[in-house]
Amino acid sequence: MASSVVAFELGEHEVEVLVAPLTTLQAVLRTQLGQTSVKDGCRQGGCGSCTVLVDGEPVLSCLLPVEDVEGRRVTTLEALTPAEGLHPIQRAFLEANGFQCGYCTPGMEMLAAAFLDHHPDPSRDEIVDALAGNICRCTGYEPIVDAIAAAAEAGR
Amino acid sequence: MTVTSYVLPTSVAEAVGLLGAHGPDLLVLAGGTIAMPLVNEGVTRPSRVMGLRRAGMGGIEPGDGGLRIGATTTLTALASQDALPLLATAARRTASWAVRNMATVGGNLFSAPRGGDVATALLALDAVVEAAGPGGTRRIPLEAFFTGPMTTALAPDELVTAIVVPPTTGASTFLKLGRRLDNTPSVVTVAALLTTEAGSVTDARVAISGAGPHPRRMAAAEAALAGRALDEASIGAAAQAATDAADPLADAVASDWYRRRMVGVVVRRALEELAQDVHGRAA
Repeated sequence: MASSVVAFELGEHEVEVLVAPLTTLQAVLRTQLGQTSVKDGCRQGGCGSCTVLVDGEPVLSCLLPVEDVEGRRVTTLEALTPAEGLHPIQRAFLEANGFQCGYCTPGMEMLAAAFLDHHPDPSRDEIVDALAGNICRCTGYEPIVDAIAAAAEAGR
Repeated sequence: MTVTSYVLPTSVAEAVGLLGAHGPDLLVLAGGTIAMPLVNEGVTRPSRVMGLRRAGMGGIEPGDGGLRIGATTTLTALASQDALPLLATAARRTASWAVRNMATVGGNLFSAPRGGDVATALLALDAVVEAAGPGGTRRIPLEAFFTGPMTTALAPDELVTAIVVPPTTGASTFLKLGRRLDNTPSVVTVAALLTTEAGSVTDARVAISGAGPHPRRMAAAEAALAGRALDEASIGAAAQAATDAADPLADAVASDWYRRRMVGVVVRRALEELAQDVHGRAA
């Protein structure tokens, strides 16, 4: 089995990892790079809890071989979080109680961050539509949609 | 079995060469949204895997008077094709945003899903599949591409390289019935494209998934519309013809019983939508 070295950007840092063939980005981020916000959920692309950004666009890291992100820019919730305080999306989730158990929260927040980059002034329906692939079994979604709407409002 | 090699060819020729050298033992993945769940679950235990993200097969360009859509074009890229609203809507109604950022149009055909919303839209658009193998490139009309449940006309050493969509005129609609509103597999999906002249239908194309082992054109429904006015009678006849011709499969999404009943309902709703569109423009 020929392992190989893969280099990519994680937030503002260059990282290099030694991986077995077809290792997923999810496994590398969580187990080799300490990014525990990246959940090991359904591994089927069905739950959204492993959502990270590659070059600013949301993808499911459980379905992405890490070899495919060679040279690309990967953003996790750890990378999004400022050294002091919280990212506006995180603050909005906190203030709107946009979580209960918290398992889906990193994926939700990554998706929300990319979504607001594309749609700074979204309707509620557009937010609901964007979240269709991120499953939450606690909140009933309403506080999550509230949080994203509030973050959009605060960003204007 | 553990994966011993994951190769990322940088050209179509290299990809075809690798497929020829390793044959069906080589698992091909493009977006990974169909293959990787099987690998993660241990359903597929490949030794060698080929990824197509760097093979230069993406992108949409004008071709043959219409559009040539590279096989690794993502559904997100497809969803922004305003020139082809039927295809853009089909892409937008498939899966979720993050999946659409990964899933490719070629992968959707290559892996021959039994449903296939994008394939249904492409059937109504008379799309042609371009496939490359050791003997060169050939074109397969999409209608002849699906041969059975999860099987296609592709030879084991061929890759889908592009989809060619000829220019179209007429009014089109895409209607998907799922168990939920969004991010849901299809119970029945209908893509219809109609051209009318002086109030009567000159070209009718009705494509359906959920009415058989793979997405298909519904010739009987098309015949019920051709040469007639698009009204309650012809729409009813087309819906009945589609129901009669349906031979749906049962799966975890829906029973064959439910699908057969929904085929007529979704065909009728799609055509009623088109009738409003056609008559609205005439008024």
